Amino acid sequence: MSVADWFRVRGRSLQSISFSLHRLTGLVLFIYLLMHLSYLTSLKLGKEVYESLIATTVSPAFLPFDILLLLATIFHGVNGIRVVLNEFGIGYEARKAMLYAAYLITAILWIIASVAMYNFVVGVR
Amino acid sequence: MRVHHDIVIVGGGLAGLRAAIAAAEKSKKLSIALISKTYPIRCHSVCAEGGTAAVLREGDSFDLHAWDTVKGADFLADQDAVEFFVRESPKEILRLDNWGCPWSRTEDGRIAQRAFGGQSFNRTVFAADRTGFHEVHTLYERTLMYPNIVRYDEYFMTNLVIEDGAARGIIAIELKSGDLVLFEAKAVILATGGAGRLFGFTTYSHQVTGDGMAIAYRCRVPLKDMEFFQFHPTGLVPSGILMTEACRGEGGYLRNKDGERFMERYAPERMELAPRDVVARSMWREIIEGRGIESEYGPYIALDLTHLGEEKIEERLPLIREAAKKFAGIDPVEEPIPVRPVAHYTMGGVHTNMWCETPVKGLYATGEVACISIHGANRLGSNSTAECLVFGRVAGEKAAEYALSTELRHVDDDIYREEEKRIFDEFLGRSGDESPYQIKKELNEVMDSSFWIFRDGNGMKEGFKKILELKERYRNVEIADNTRKFNTDMIYAFEVGFMLDLAEAVAAGAIARTESRGAHYRLDYPERDDENWLKHTLAYYTPDGPKLEYIPVTITKWQPVERKY
Amino acid sequence: MKVIFNIRRFDGEKDYWQSFAVPVFRGMTLLEGLFYIKENLDGSLAFRASCRMGVCGSCAVKVNGKPVLACETQISSVNSSKLDIEPIDNFRVIKDLVTDFEGFFRKHEAVKPYLIRNDDNYENPVELIQTPKQMKSYYTFSLCIKCGACYSVCPAAATRSDYLGPAAITAAWRFIADSRDEGKEERYEAVCGDNGVWRCHFAAECSEVCPKKVEPAKAVQKMRIRTALHAIKKVIL
Ligand SMILES: Cc1cc2nc3c(=O)[nH]c(=O)nc-3n(C[C@H](O)[C@H](O)[C@H](O)COP(=O)(O)OP(=O)(O)OC[C@H]3O[C@@H](n4cnc5c(N)ncnc54)[C@H](O)[C@@H]3O)c2cc1C
Ligand code: FES
Repeated sequence: MSVADWFRVRGRSLQSISFSLHRLTGLVLFIYLLMHLSYLTSLKLGKEVYESLIATTVSPAFLPFDILLLLATIFHGVNGIRVVLNEFGIGYEARKAMLYAAYLITAILWIIASVAMYNFVVGVR
Repeated sequence: MRVHHDIVIVGGGLAGLRAAIAAAEKSKKLSIALISKTYPIRCHSVCAEGGTAAVLREGDSFDLHAWDTVKGADFLADQDAVEFFVRESPKEILRLDNWGCPWSRTEDGRIAQRAFGGQSFNRTVFAADRTGFHEVHTLYERTLMYPNIVRYDEYFMTNLVIEDGAARGIIAIELKSGDLVLFEAKAVILATGGAGRLFGFTTYSHQVTGDGMAIAYRCRVPLKDMEFFQFHPTGLVPSGILMTEACRGEGGYLRNKDGERFMERYAPERMELAPRDVVARSMWREIIEGRGIESEYGPYIALDLTHLGEEKIEERLPLIREAAKKFAGIDPVEEPIPVRPVAHYTMGGVHTNMWCETPVKGLYATGEVACISIHGANRLGSNSTAECLVFGRVAGEKAAEYALSTELRHVDDDIYREEEKRIFDEFLGRSGDESPYQIKKELNEVMDSSFWIFRDGNGMKEGFKKILELKERYRNVEIADNTRKFNTDMIYAFEVGFMLDLAEAVAAGAIARTESRGAHYRLDYPERDDENWLKHTLAYYTPDGPKLEYIPVTITKWQPVERKY
Repeated sequence: MKVIFNIRRFDGEKDYWQSFAVPVFRGMTLLEGLFYIKENLDGSLAFRASCRMGVCGSCAVKVNGKPVLACETQISSVNSSKLDIEPIDNFRVIKDLVTDFEGFFRKHEAVKPYLIRNDDNYENPVELIQTPKQMKSYYTFSLCIKCGACYSVCPAAATRSDYLGPAAITAAWRFIADSRDEGKEERYEAVCGDNGVWRCHFAAECSEVCPKKVEPAKAVQKMRIRTALHAIKKVIL
């Protein structure tokens, strides 16, 4: 099994799949972080450059990406808390329930955040 | 390749592991090789379920344990060895305790004991129904503490090296690479286990093919009492997986198709807890006389635990419940388990004295491969793991003493080359028109029909003829796999060859013994005959078949009397 | 009824799939199926097996993506007329379904998996007292048969081949939790290294696949806390 096999689904339980998703979303967030930092650095090139970048990305066309990014963030955060708890030996017996709860909380938070995001990008205009 | 050690132990089961520890304790200077064809924790001993007998508590005594053993053995046991054995066994239990074995406990934290067939006191120490498993793991883990024990896991012994009447080492194939390795040593201990796979319906692991016995036999070391094979009363139908005697020890019943506890008629006093040979014969009689319960896998007897209740079964017999569910789809809490007598223990083996010494200098045997003879004609349940511990230690110590007092002598290169030629030029990948698997299957059929619980002269002679025929066919055996690495096809063919020789020794001994004693029961000679047959059989290998000789049984305290339960 | 055994084979050089049709009877196990192939169709097929009752740990293989003990898996329970059978992951394949366990056992040895006592007396052992309750705190962890199933699904082991792995760490915990043991410190040291407990990130698949329900993930997490406390104590004192 190599690292690529982390992402194999066949024969795996939700536990493993969550582990892989956690790594995957971590990677996505890392790329986002780089983007975010480069945006901030662009301020050095002048306010206009920064604002033009913002104008293209904070727009309805980019909304679906934003919403997916939200999903990645929320999943990574919520699942992260679950893993931290489990790793400190808390709630081992309830690990299945915690896993399902993590997905449920992720879904709820995502819906709320998506609506807020939609209102921010589209609704206000 | 060639390596050398002071002591080479072949077999990583209970006996081999215990011997290794004993030798390592004797002297830090000794280098000890532990060779086994499977990883030690995958040996057959892990299958032992029920327990290990030892005198630990008030009310029990060494004499009582010894008497039970001797009587159980139908007086064929050597009584000096038995007396030594019962005295040493308790210490072994405590040692295992100190090394981490999770023995089942009483409420106040002391080692618990349970009832077992033929033992007239509750003296069987146990670790749930995984006794062998925990014992092996404990011993294996303990061996890791000794830097002078070097393990060679997955090495298959093919031959012994004996020169000038003394053991010089062994030759083995490293399975992973397929290389042949010569192990030179001052002392060799055989601890390769029994020969149970001779039979088809058996509780034994696939690996128990009597390799050590057959190799020693071919090297002209005599085999003792090979005709005595134990049949355990309760093997799960159809796979033969053992339903431990502890099922009855904990209070289980045996019932025939009318629901009757038929043991009432055969052993009114001890009932289900009479010795194994008695219970197995009674069950077989019920089956033959048509009182077995019919099923698609043949008639069986019901092992009824339902009255014990779920809690007790869960606590004391968890593995049994799991196995019955997994392998027969039956939950013993709700339904009786289908069982039938099953081949279970090799009382015979390499001839040794009570110090595990074979007639060859520097060659020791211990555990099931040996016949020290404490089990005589019938072993009592839970005496065999105890034997492995006690006499494993003896073998280890004796070999260590011997090794410390002798010099290593190098083995001639010719011997290695000859073996290499025999295996890789002549055996590996050979073509022929007989399949080893087919021969093995037919051998099992012969053993299961002619040398089963009820034997008779004519049937056995037929069987003997068939064995010789199979041996002849084996000369023409085909080995489909001609590669070197992990060639399980070739190993299988080797094992079948070993078993054919052993079958011959079993058959010869059984035909010659015209009496019934312990596990050897003849319909044509149903009585025990102390006048003519209170003696051990020794089978010597000759190219024209086994040559039999007899030696007397050692009797110290107990004269033979009628055996009633 | 026939079931197709699609087996991933390896002869030391070539890696290929081969299919066998196996006639199946009621109650037949996967191991019996493999033996059927070896005895009747292709003698060169290599796999390990011994006890055929789920205690020796020889026979773990991957079936339709999941590691199982061949001997205690009913063919009918896989619920498929075609079985993809492969050697378990994270182990080097030697031949067909036989994998190399050398490293696995070395890791087990590395955690000092034996009872350590200061008053170890070989000649004159004495009975130690341990109540059933004390025993219960470690007993499940002592049931590991070293079949390698847990290690084969562990993503941490996939990433780093020197990771001790669930089985070894469970063995360490089994002794630490034993009331008779006096060697805890040594074992914390053995598992707190770079290849030890900190590699685990609770994919917990080990507990999912363990055929003996040993719950290695639980042992590893318990071990983490103790090891962390031990490390903190070492820094402070
Ligand atoms: C199902 C079952 C349950 C049992 N329950 C009990 C019980 O409750 N109480 C009791 O007292 N007894 C019990 N017994 C009997 C007891 O388990 C055995 O007699 C005992 O374990 C034998 O141990 P051993 O060390 O002699 O051999 P084994 O454990 O068989 O070990 C043999 C070793 O030799 C090695 N070996 C074999 N051939 C070769 C070769 N050619 N090259 C290299 N290595 C080789 C093997 O790899 C293995 O490591 C039971 C037996 C069975 C079948
Ligand atoms: S053969 Fe022993 S565990 Fe499967």
